[in-house]
Amino acid sequence: MWGIFLESVVIFKNYMGYHENHFLAGIYLLALLYLWLTEKDRRRRVLFVYAPTLILILFFCPLFRKVFVRLMEDSETYYRLLWLLQMSIVSAYGLIRLMGRHRRIGLAFACLAIVACGDYVYDSEHISRAQNAYHLPQEAVDIVDMIEPEEGRITVLVPADLIYYVRQYSTDIELPYGREMLIARWDYYNAMYEAMEEAEVIDTKTFAELARAYPCAYVILKEDREMREPLTDYGYSVYGQVGAFVIYKDMTL
Amino acid sequence: MASVISFIFWLLVIPFCIGLIPANFIPAEKRSPGFVLLSGYFGMWALFEIAAVPAVLWVEYDNFKIASAVFTVFTLLAAAAGVVLLYRNGKAGAPGLILGTRVTAVAKRFFAGTGVEWLLFFVLLGFQLYKAVAFTSFDGDDAYYVVESLLAQEAGVMYRILPLTGGSTGLDVRHAMAVFPMWTAFVSVRAGVHATIVSHVVMPLVLIPLTYLLYYEIGRILFVKMPRTGGKQIGKEQLQDAGRSVSGRENLPIFMIVMAVFQIFGNVSIYTNETFFLTRTWQGKAVAGALVIPALVWVFLLIYDKGVKNGRTDVGVWILLVCVNMTAGVCSSIAVFLVCLLVAVTTFCLAVAERDWKILFKVGAACIPNVVYMGIYVFMAYSYLL
Repeated sequence: MWGIFLESVVIFKNYMGYHENHFLAGIYLLALLYLWLTEKDRRRRVLFVYAPTLILILFFCPLFRKVFVRLMEDSETYYRLLWLLQMSIVSAYGLIRLMGRHRRIGLAFACLAIVACGDYVYDSEHISRAQNAYHLPQEAVDIVDMIEPEEGRITVLVPADLIYYVRQYSTDIELPYGREMLIARWDYYNAMYEAMEEAEVIDTKTFAELARAYPCAYVILKEDREMREPLTDYGYSVYGQVGAFVIYKDMTL
Repeated sequence: MASVISFIFWLLVIPFCIGLIPANFIPAEKRSPGFVLLSGYFGMWALFEIAAVPAVLWVEYDNFKIASAVFTVFTLLAAAAGVVLLYRNGKAGAPGLILGTRVTAVAKRFFAGTGVEWLLFFVLLGFQLYKAVAFTSFDGDDAYYVVESLLAQEAGVMYRILPLTGGSTGLDVRHAMAVFPMWTAFVSVRAGVHATIVSHVVMPLVLIPLTYLLYYEIGRILFVKMPRTGGKQIGKEQLQDAGRSVSGRENLPIFMIVMAVFQIFGNVSIYTNETFFLTRTWQGKAVAGALVIPALVWVFLLIYDKGVKNGRTDVGVWILLVCVNMTAGVCSSIAVFLVCLLVAVTTFCLAVAERDWKILFKVGAACIPNVVYMGIYVFMAYSYLL
């Protein structure tokens, strides 16, 4: 039970970003404490004080965590219990109560505190300027435009860089493997993936055999991808190039 | 142009008309355009759950087309019912379904002296919308959820094709019962716009303002004491008195600014609902965290705040609670459990604080759809054992 409790503590710390010196939770707990001491309306106490406190207690309760994991068959989503704390609403309400009549100066201090303790979402490495209306990399769109069949579906082997995007643009393109192979902790095995991504230098013969087994009408490789022999020696021809990606067409199909 | 009209129809007109139904069954002083639109959305999503989940589970071919047709009939009927109620109220001279007892004079007073704060809030909101449209946020789960929407749009089927690769698949109940991507697909089909564009561009433009509208409604209850008229039409003098009694309204824009700053700087980890809200706005789980769970706070405020007695006039709020509960199932299977937990904890505390044990039964009844949802989930997930 102690071990389960410590796991919950780690989840809480990760959620709140303590390891990266973010202390938004501090603002929340301060607001919660202030409301504990000052909120007189018992209905609001229930919503903004008792319920969040009970949720917090439940979150750290090892027995509750065991039940949750058993019911949901998933321990990875346990952190979502913290969504029930309503951090932003409770913090905003508590801070405004704390400000009293000093609204503008209080607002400035509240915003400064949130900025100092939080993290700017748009700084994320995952956010970049959109290249098109689909919000997909333009290279993925251009490649699919080149190879998409007029009718029916085809299987295409694409490098990991494109795997998330190709089918978001067209479901007529099927893949030998998908995103599941890129999540290491899911621990899937796929021979085609091993040949394509894990091999330092692609063994062209085995690679071509595996790709034909699906069969992949096109193989897309980065231009600097090392291969024992050129793919063109195995019945493929260069169909085109988009940016750093070379598109090979299987001429035997 | 036809696409824009279609978006306006399905994302504004239809939910607004549906929202007139619960608005008809609440006291006039609780009514507002925000209440109508928000409750309309929750009502619409609840209808979508009724139309789509059985089709997902028990129809093998063209299940999306069938669910879309059923949902279209449901929504049009509900919207028509809302319009009829609006017309009947207007004819009877009752307080308006949309504005309730509030009129322009109060609305003008509402913004008086807080223009700068409101301007600042709208700048923050505009900034978030600009970022949502001009910037892209990579999320690996899109390879599942967005592709599911696109598959429904292009192939007309729900959850029968593996989104990651394109192979056929058995039903993955955990994801299949959360039909939010199918609603996105429905909107995409009706507007004739690629589902990926709808997910990444249109949905943020709808869901971000909608979420702030919910925060506004919560703030309105927390910081603005609305005139109480007991559902009767009020005269000019009473209205002025009511206007004078408005207190703390200056805090409302402050609340909205703090909420907006909290969302923008809430990215302390990839797990927070603030991060989900602005980086995966279009995914059901983000909607669950940013919109559905706070909506429960709103509903509880509506039920209990201002000391309004529960009774026939609050039926609309209970309808709303049922719809919010059902929307949780549309968004995510785990959200159903989360919502039940929050409702249970809050209701238990309320029952103790208010010495009102009846509330346990009332809220319990409003959670029946969640129990049914979880029952179906468990049955489908473990039916292979039978």
